[in-house]
Amino acid sequence: MTRLSNGLIDRSSPLTFRFNGTRYQGYAGDTLASALLANGVQLVGRSFKYHRPRGIFSAGSEEPNALVTVGRDAQTEPNTRATMVELYDGLEAYSQNHVGPLSHDIMAINDLAAPFLSAGFYYKTFMWPKTFWEKLYEPMIRRAAGLGALSGLPDPASYDRGFLHPDLLIIGAGAAGLISALTAGRAGAHVVLADEDSRMGGRLLAEDGIIDGIPAIDWVKTTLDELRSLPNVRLMTRTTVFGAYDHGVYGAVERVSDHLAATNGQVRQTFWRFTAKRTILATGATERHIPFANNDRPGIMLAGAIRAYANRWGVSAQRKAHDRIAIFTNNDDGHRTADALSKKGLPVLAVIDARPDAKSLGHYQTFAGSYVSDTRGRKGVNTIEVTRDGQSQWLECGVLGVSGGWNPNVHLASHHRARPIWDNEKLCFLPSGAPVGMSIAGAARGQGTTTQALADGQHAATNALYELGLPVQSHPAPVANDEPSNVAPIWHMPSRKRAWVDFQNDVTVKDIKLSHQENMRAVEHLKRWTTLGMATDQGKTSNVTALAVMAELTSQTIPETGTTIFRPPYTPVSMAVLGGGDTGANFRPSRLTPTHEWAKSLGATFVEAGQWMRAQWYPRAGETHWRQSVDREAQAVRANVGICDVSTLGKIDVQGADAALFLDRIYSNTISTLKVGKTRYGLMLREDGQLYDDGTCACMAEGHYIVTTTTANAGAVFQRMEFARQCLWPELDVTLISTTDAWAQIAVAGPKSRQLLSRVVDEFDLSNTAFPFMSCTELTICNGLRARLFRISFSGELAYELAVPARYGAALMEYLMGKGADLGVTPYGTEALGVLRIEKGHATGNEITGQTTAAMLGLEKMVSTKKDSIGAIMSRRQGLASETRRLVGLVPIDTNDPVVAGSHLFTTTADQNLKNDQGWITSACYSPHINSAIGLAYLENGTDRFGEEIIAANPLEGQSIRLRVTSAHFIDPKGDRLRD
Amino acid sequence: MTDLTPRTALGATAARNETIGAYLIEENTELGLASVAIPAETIPPVLFGLTLPKPGHLTLEIDGKFAIWTAPNQWLFATDGDAHQDCAALVKSKIAMAYITEQTDAWVAFKVSSQTSGQINTLLERLVNLPETATDTGKATRTNIHHMSVFVLRPTSTQVTFLGPRTQAGSLWHVLETTLRQQRANSGALS
Repeated sequence: MTRLSNGLIDRSSPLTFRFNGTRYQGYAGDTLASALLANGVQLVGRSFKYHRPRGIFSAGSEEPNALVTVGRDAQTEPNTRATMVELYDGLEAYSQNHVGPLSHDIMAINDLAAPFLSAGFYYKTFMWPKTFWEKLYEPMIRRAAGLGALSGLPDPASYDRGFLHPDLLIIGAGAAGLISALTAGRAGAHVVLADEDSRMGGRLLAEDGIIDGIPAIDWVKTTLDELRSLPNVRLMTRTTVFGAYDHGVYGAVERVSDHLAATNGQVRQTFWRFTAKRTILATGATERHIPFANNDRPGIMLAGAIRAYANRWGVSAQRKAHDRIAIFTNNDDGHRTADALSKKGLPVLAVIDARPDAKSLGHYQTFAGSYVSDTRGRKGVNTIEVTRDGQSQWLECGVLGVSGGWNPNVHLASHHRARPIWDNEKLCFLPSGAPVGMSIAGAARGQGTTTQALADGQHAATNALYELGLPVQSHPAPVANDEPSNVAPIWHMPSRKRAWVDFQNDVTVKDIKLSHQENMRAVEHLKRWTTLGMATDQGKTSNVTALAVMAELTSQTIPETGTTIFRPPYTPVSMAVLGGGDTGANFRPSRLTPTHEWAKSLGATFVEAGQWMRAQWYPRAGETHWRQSVDREAQAVRANVGICDVSTLGKIDVQGADAALFLDRIYSNTISTLKVGKTRYGLMLREDGQLYDDGTCACMAEGHYIVTTTTANAGAVFQRMEFARQCLWPELDVTLISTTDAWAQIAVAGPKSRQLLSRVVDEFDLSNTAFPFMSCTELTICNGLRARLFRISFSGELAYELAVPARYGAALMEYLMGKGADLGVTPYGTEALGVLRIEKGHATGNEITGQTTAAMLGLEKMVSTKKDSIGAIMSRRQGLASETRRLVGLVPIDTNDPVVAGSHLFTTTADQNLKNDQGWITSACYSPHINSAIGLAYLENGTDRFGEEIIAANPLEGQSIRLRVTSAHFIDPKGDRLRD
Repeated sequence: MTDLTPRTALGATAARNETIGAYLIEENTELGLASVAIPAETIPPVLFGLTLPKPGHLTLEIDGKFAIWTAPNQWLFATDGDAHQDCAALVKSKIAMAYITEQTDAWVAFKVSSQTSGQINTLLERLVNLPETATDTGKATRTNIHHMSVFVLRPTSTQVTFLGPRTQAGSLWHVLETTLRQQRANSGALS
C-alpha cells in the first residue's frame, strides 16, 4: 500500500473493488486509477500493437494507457479510462488486449516482431495475394483492432437528453472557470459551469497552493459555496462538453450514474445541448512528456499526475514504500512535483533536468543538464539510465515522472476548423479563431499560473457580461502564489532504441522518422501513416511532441509543420447517449391510423409506410399464406364491397379568396374551373418539370378546397405549398392547414359500396344522378355525425371515400362491418389496395419516382398550356419532351412465371446491356382476376407495342422472363365501373 | 346524438391519466380546436371575449376558451369541453371575415401538472430545446419533441400542455411518460 495521510478522499467510506478478479480496497473520492496505485498496482494493460506492459500515465481524461473494461455482461463498457472511473463499491474492472494473463500476455511476441510492424505496415503488408484480403487479412486485423470488446448484448441502461440556454456557458471549473462563474453569477447572468471531473476545482485540487491567503482547496470550497447559493448559476459536474457547433451550440454528456453501484432507475448518462449566448473556455492545459528510450514502462508517468495523485488522492505512485521517485523535466513544474513529494516524506531520487542551468526548488537532488537515456524493468520501471555530457549511470528507481511542459487544451476553440497559433515564448499552441461568442481564459490560452488564470478568468467574464449588457460588479482578482514554468525547447532524447511518442497507438520517434523517410511529412499524412493521435485519447499527450519531432526532421519550425484538424468529440461519447435513450420500436415516432386498434383486434399484419403503421392484410382462420388473404380481399372488393383505412393520405385545407388561383399555380392542370361539390384528379410537377405528386382536389365551397396527396409526400407537398404561399406569392389571399390527422378517411369500394353507404348516411341521395363520379359533399351519417363524402376510386370500382372526425374512425369501421355483413363487406389492407390499383393501371410512388414525366403516364394533356404552374415550362424542354417511354401493362407468356418489379426490359433478340435497355418494371403483383402475375412498366414507345413479346431481365436473380405487352388497364379499361 | 362511440387518440374509450412522481399527466379528450386565419392586414377579431395573442403567447382562459398564436394572421382557438361540437362552425358563427378549419381531432392534448413551477421547468429542459423565456407562464410555442412537432402551452406556472399530432399520440405519451419516470428516479436519487 502506498496511501498517504492527506487527500480529498473520504476515509470513512471504504470501498471494495476488483481488478482482474483480485479484490482491492479504496475510498470514496478515489478513481479506479488512484485506487489501483494505492494498492501498488502499476501494470494495468497492454499496448495496442506491441502488447508492451503499460501502466497509468496521467490523472485525467488525457489518459492514453490505462484503458480497462468496466462491468460485466450487458453492462460491459470497454476502453474506459481508469483515470476517469470513479470508484464505487463492487466495481469490477478488467485489463484489455492480452491473450492469457495480463502479466504473461502471449501476444507480447509482437514486441519481438516490432521491426516488421513499423509505421504504415498495414498498408504495406497486406497487399498480396489479393484473395487473402477478405477471408484472412481483414478478419485478422479487425480482431486485433479496437483494444476492448463489446458484449454484443443490448444495452440495458437508460439515457436521456436535455437542453439549456444559459447566458454564459463556462467549460472547465478550475481557477479560471470558477472565478468566471463567480463574476458572472454575482452579476445576475444565467451561468452554466460544466466540468468533466466529479469535483470542481480543476488543477487546484491537485495543488497545495495559496489563494488570497488561504489554501487553494479552501478557496475552491468557499467559491463553490457562494456559487451554489446563486439561483442563476448551475454547477454541472461529471459533464464533458465534447463539441462546439454552430450558433453557440455545444454538445455535452453528463455521467449521471456511472459512478454509482446501484442506479435506482436513474439514467446512466444525459446528452445535453447547450445553446449559450457567450462561452468561456477554461479547459486548462495538459502536461506533455519527453520521449526517451523505453519510456513506456509502467511507473513512468506525467510528473504533474504524480503530484495530483499525491495531493488530491493521497496516493504515491510507488509499488513499494521504499521505491525511489525520479523526475525528468525541461521546466520548473517538474521541480514542483519533486518538492511536493519530498515535503510528504517520499523518497525522491533526483530531478533530472535537461536544462544546464536548472536549480532545485526544494530539498532534493537535481542533475542539471542531464537526461534519462534508457530504462529497465519488465513489468514496471526499476532502473533508469541518466546521461550527462556523454556519461551514463544506471540508478534504481520505482517511479519516474516526466514533464515536458504544458499544452493548452485548445480543442473546443478549434472545432470550427480554426488552427491554433504557436507561441515561441511559451512553447505551446495557443487558441486562435475561436467560434463566435467564445472567449478563452486561463491555462487554455497559456495563462497557466494560478494568479494568471484567476485574473484572466475574471477578465473574460467581465467582457462577456459587457457583451451581454449585464452590469459588472468590480471585485479585485484573488491573488495566488505564482509558479512560472521556464520551459526549455527540449522535445525528445535521441536514441537508437524505441522512444514512444504516442503510447496509445504505439507510435515511436522511429515511426515518425520512417514516415518522414517515406515522404509522409505533411502532418495529416503523418497522422494517418503512423495512426498517431487516433483512438480514445486523440493524441492529447502526444500530438505536439510528434509535431516537434517532425519539425526537427524536416528542418521546419513547429508552426510551419502545423497541426491536424480538431474535431468533436473531445473525449469518447457513447452512441447510446447520442441516440437520446430510445431504441427499438421507440427509436423514432410512429403514426397510427384512427383504426389501428380496431385492425389489431382483427389480427391485421402491419407494414411501416414512412412513420405510419398500416394494416397490410387481415388474415382469416385457415389462411396459411399472405397471398390467400390478399387475393380474398381483392376479390371481395371486385365482387362485393371492401373497406380500407386511407387516412394516411395527406389532406390539406386550402381556403381564401385566391385559393383557386393558388391551386392553378400548384397543379399542372386547371383547378379554377372546378365547380363546388366536384373533385378533380390533379398532378403536381417539380420545378424541373418532372412529376412530383398526384392526388385529388375537392371544391367544398367557393374559395374552399381540400387537397389530397400521396401518403409518402404528404409532409413534403404541404411544406412546398407553404413555401409557395409565403415566399413565391405572398400577395395571394390563401391559407393552408394540414388536416391529415383530423379526419379518418375510409375507402368504401366495390359494386355494393353504394348499397352499404346508403345504410350509413343520414337522408342523402347517393344515386348516380344525384352524386355522380368525382362528386364531393359535406353530410351527416350515423344519426348526425358530421362527415365528408368523396366519390373517387383508386381500385377502379364504384367507390367512395368517407371522412369523419378521427375519433370516430374505428367506430365507423365497426359500423360499416355490421351494416354490410350481408353484402360481404371485407376489410382490406395495403397489399390488396396495391393489387387493385395495379390491375387498374393507377400510378403510385413506384411510378412517380422523381424521374418520370406526365407523358410517361399518358397524362401529358394534364400539363395545361393555358396557364403557368410550377414546372410547366420546364416540362416542355427538349430533354423531357423527347421522352418516349410510356406506361404499359405486362403479363407473363407462361402464366406460371413471375413478374419481378425492378426488372429491365429488352427485345427478345437483343443483348441485355444498358445500350439496349427498353425500360423497367415499376410495379408487380399477382392478380386473382387475371389469374397470373401482372406488372406495370415504362417501355420505349410502349403504347404502340401492345401484344409484343419482351424479355424482363433480372440479372440479380439470373432471371429472364418472357412477357407480353398490354394496356396498363387490366380491369375495366373504359372505366364504366367507377362511373356506374 | 350519433350512433358511433368516439375513441381517444390513444385508441381507448376513456382518457388516460397517470401520476408519476411529482407529476400528474392527463389526456384531455374534450378540447375542441379550430384554426382561425384572417387575410393579411386585417385587424384580428375579438373571439368569445379573447383578444387573439401575439407571437409566442396564449390568452388567458375565459369560460374554458383560449387561443394561441400559430402563424402570422393565424391562431388556434380552443374550447375545453367542446370536442364533440363542430368547432369550425362554432367559430364561423362569430367571425365573418376569417378562414376557419376544424382541428379538434388533428391534435392530442396531454396536460402535465405539478406542485411547483420548478418541477415543470425541470421537465421542460428535458423535453424541449427552448429557453425558459419561451415557456414562461402565458407562452405557447411550437417546437420539436423527439422529432414530433408539438405546441408547448404554459397556462400557469405549475402546468404545461403539449399539443401533438393525434396520430403520434402513442409516441408522444411514451416520451412524456419515460421522461417523467426518469425525473422521478432522479428526484428519488437526490432526496
